[in-house]
Amino acid sequence: MRTIRRFFKRLSSWATTQRDDQRLRAEIEEHLALQTAENVRAGLSSVEARRQAVLKFGAVESVREGYRDQKGLPFMETLLQDIRQGLRRLRNAPAFTITTVLTLALGIGATTSIFTLVYAVLMKSLAVANPNELYKLGKEARCCYWGGYSQYKEYSLVSYDLYKHFRDYTKDFSELAAFQASNQLFGVRRAGRAEAAQSYPGEFVSGNYFAMFGIRAYAGRVFSGSDDRAEAQAVAVMSYRLWQDRYGSDPSVIGAVFNLDDKPFTVVGIAPPGFFGDSLRNTPPDFFLPLNTEPFALSDTDLYKPDNYWLELIGRIRPGARAASIEAEMRVELKRWLRSHWGEMTANDRAKFPKQTLFLRPGGAGITAMREEYEHWLRILMMVSAFVLLIVCANVANLMLVRGMERRRQISLSMALGARPSRLVKQALTESILLSLLGGVAGLAIAFAGTSLILHFAFPQRGGMAGVPISASPSTPVLLFAFGLSLITGLAFGIGPAWMATRVDPIEALRGASRSTARTGSLPRKTLVVFQAALALVLLSVSGLLTAALHRLENQNFGFDQERRIVANINPMLAGYGGDRLTPLYRRIQDSLSSIPGVSGVALCIYSPLGGNNWGSGIRVDGHPSPGPNDDDMAFWDRVTAGYFDIIATPILRGRGITEQDTATSRHVAVISEAFARKFFKNEDPIGRHFGQHGIGSEREYEIVGITKDAVYLSMDLGKPVSAFFFLPEAQHDFLPTPEATEASPGSHLMRDIVVAIRPGASLSFAQVRQALASVDPNLPVISIRTLEEQVGGQFRQQRLIARLTSFFGALSLVLSSIGLYGVTAYNAGRRTGEIGVRMALGADRGDVVGLVVRGAFVLIVVGLLIGLPLTFAAGRFLGNQLYGMNPYNPEVTLIAVVTLGLSALLASLIPALRASSISPMEALRVE
Amino acid sequence: MKEKTDVLQGTLALMVLKTLDVLGPLHGYGVARRIEQISGDLLTVNQGTLYPVLLKLEQEGSIASEWGASENNRKARFYRLTRDGRKRLQAETRGWEQTAAIIGRFFAVKAEDLK
Repeated sequence: MRTIRRFFKRLSSWATTQRDDQRLRAEIEEHLALQTAENVRAGLSSVEARRQAVLKFGAVESVREGYRDQKGLPFMETLLQDIRQGLRRLRNAPAFTITTVLTLALGIGATTSIFTLVYAVLMKSLAVANPNELYKLGKEARCCYWGGYSQYKEYSLVSYDLYKHFRDYTKDFSELAAFQASNQLFGVRRAGRAEAAQSYPGEFVSGNYFAMFGIRAYAGRVFSGSDDRAEAQAVAVMSYRLWQDRYGSDPSVIGAVFNLDDKPFTVVGIAPPGFFGDSLRNTPPDFFLPLNTEPFALSDTDLYKPDNYWLELIGRIRPGARAASIEAEMRVELKRWLRSHWGEMTANDRAKFPKQTLFLRPGGAGITAMREEYEHWLRILMMVSAFVLLIVCANVANLMLVRGMERRRQISLSMALGARPSRLVKQALTESILLSLLGGVAGLAIAFAGTSLILHFAFPQRGGMAGVPISASPSTPVLLFAFGLSLITGLAFGIGPAWMATRVDPIEALRGASRSTARTGSLPRKTLVVFQAALALVLLSVSGLLTAALHRLENQNFGFDQERRIVANINPMLAGYGGDRLTPLYRRIQDSLSSIPGVSGVALCIYSPLGGNNWGSGIRVDGHPSPGPNDDDMAFWDRVTAGYFDIIATPILRGRGITEQDTATSRHVAVISEAFARKFFKNEDPIGRHFGQHGIGSEREYEIVGITKDAVYLSMDLGKPVSAFFFLPEAQHDFLPTPEATEASPGSHLMRDIVVAIRPGASLSFAQVRQALASVDPNLPVISIRTLEEQVGGQFRQQRLIARLTSFFGALSLVLSSIGLYGVTAYNAGRRTGEIGVRMALGADRGDVVGLVVRGAFVLIVVGLLIGLPLTFAAGRFLGNQLYGMNPYNPEVTLIAVVTLGLSALLASLIPALRASSISPMEALRVE
Repeated sequence: MKEKTDVLQGTLALMVLKTLDVLGPLHGYGVARRIEQISGDLLTVNQGTLYPVLLKLEQEGSIASEWGASENNRKARFYRLTRDGRKRLQAETRGWEQTAAIIGRFFAVKAEDLK
């Protein structure tokens, strides 16, 4: 109680310093007067009486100090004093201050901008109510479809049927919602408006999706369970982003009908701003649609197939419920559900039945596919920026040490006058923290610019669609991070120099000779330079490795030609094409484009190489035993028009490609890749053999007529052995080996990509392509047109960005450590002027002097390199699979890094060496 | 020259409280003189050190002060004990007496008493 009262008294009297000072002075005066009077009464002379009184009172200053310590808050007071003094001193050295603040801003800014991304991608929860109550199904994000009655490792995707089973039987979820694992583009057109359809992503979600997240509509209403019934009217919720950007927040949008792929949906409401759905991704959905509209919207029956897994689950658990017990309960339910489908299960599924399990994981961050994709990159970048910050700290510490040297006399004088060392250290530390806070403020601006730039390059916005929902502007955690980082930085670079600055003997002040300081303080500065050199070497080799890996990736043999090829992405379905009308459409497109002068050929395919998507399938080879439960029978496939391989320039190694003779009525053929041949026909000749992709009974579905060279179609194959591939003719349709013989995947006849090959020397503009397509059908939406080079290059966007960022950081660290070395060398050379003069007077020539100085500098660099080399190898290991199969112990890269560092060190030390050697001996000796 | 004893931190505060309790409101010099007199010059403090103690006691609410006129008609600050201060003095006096009694008993013990 007493202490608290005292604290407030002190706080208030701290504010009224001036008046209290007067009070004390008056009291002292009174005290001395009374004592003097008494001494006079005792018979002393008035002068002596006063002297005795003062003696008896003690040192007035120390009393005043003690009084002040009692009265105010000495900590606050000295802090304020130190801050005022620190600011004054920084103002008096503008060059030093600006250099330091800028250097710090670079380091803090780089680290903060990476942290902004780390926070957004790895740490942030969804913008929903109480995210900590949410749990999701599945340990790892798994995109996007799965079939059959067993799942590899864990059940992480569910069918609509399985979702309903979980929803109805798991009591401890207050809401359990399901939603599409992928999202897809819809051609969107507001009904009754004459406008071309524009593509926006949409996602099918269960009726309780919004209720589960605790999300209310910004305008209108969100849909609920009653909207998610087969017979209900088709409704949709639009994203705030689209409503604002595209429709100018027009209130009439609510209640209006929008055609999504030509199917009418009524928009009933707008999702709140900041809500980007269930997962952080490049293209957050602009339309949320009830699950039961899926058959209507896509004209398929995915929803009703119990073994068609395309939904993710997130649930909100009841207060007090335990996730572990829900998980156990759901495992039992899963088994029960599988048992109820025992009759439909294949022998393989039944064999895998005992192993089927599932996992519940915290779902507050939603589906974290992006987290898994970027985590390693972000770790690398975080490490790299931390290294840069360390180098920055070393540099600034070096500057502070020099500053400390210059202040030695002043400090020893202060100490001679009775200043306490702790107070002097505190003063110096306050100054460094001031500097780092200033650096932090400037760093925030750099971080904002840096993050915006990184986001722009990493996630380029596609026409009209929402970009990745990450904001570059600092959020509270980012601000706190930057503040904390600045404080730590200030301590890191300040504490050593501050402590060392006070390690002076007060007597030095009186001696006043500059010589006495000659040897001290040189070791720490040298250590810092060694440290910098080691870190710079690591950063240089990391950036070298990443750049080399990128170069290797970009210049690998892709198995097709990138030059002189244009890829136009279309969606015939949006213009109402389907069924029998497709093949004639493709014919017309080919004719129209081929008639443009300079075009050497046109082919269509579902997916062109590295377009970012593909279909995969389990393969059964005729004459081989059925694949067992653990066999990898996976191959990827594409459907192409005649002449495709010539147009994309993938060589046919044996047999033939897809030609005009493969028609709807001719025998069904397939062209396989080398990898396919290796995987399924180890020592056999594949030509003439049969295989199929539609389960038991489909083994003779296709006859192999040709083998192509391997080509890279999948981005996951980059830098790895290419996956097995096969190609089917566009004109041929597959039918399931069932009595009804329904058509298998009719959607595979929707050719998405048109590949246009251009004659050497000719040129073709995108406008010409658009025009030719418009002449076929003006309503045919062209989603994108780009060159094949751009499409392939797009696959390396991340790698290129990371390589450039680390190269930038590497260059920065090189410059900073060279400056550090320059500083130390120049300083040491300056101090050795006298020695140099003596040497020169005794006959040393300029070369000797230059050698002397440069040698000194190189010893430091070599020690730094020796320390840095093992670190470099460790860093290479850390990069690991981000090098796409390149050996992390790359002697070339290491050598280049060493040479680069050596050259810049030579430059940094040569300048002061030449300056030192150009002095005349007489002059040098006079300096003494 | 007589040897002088250092004042234990804290005991000075107790002396101040007791002085004010016995003599009523006093100015700083008065308190200093009184302590000197009572301790019989055995214990001298730099009189100046008294003022931080006075301030501390005032902040803690044990004493209060106001301006008044001293005996030679100068402006002086007079300190007096508050109700809190009186309670504190009583509590600390008890504590001090207990401590003194215990220490006293220790000194009174002779070797044979412990056998």
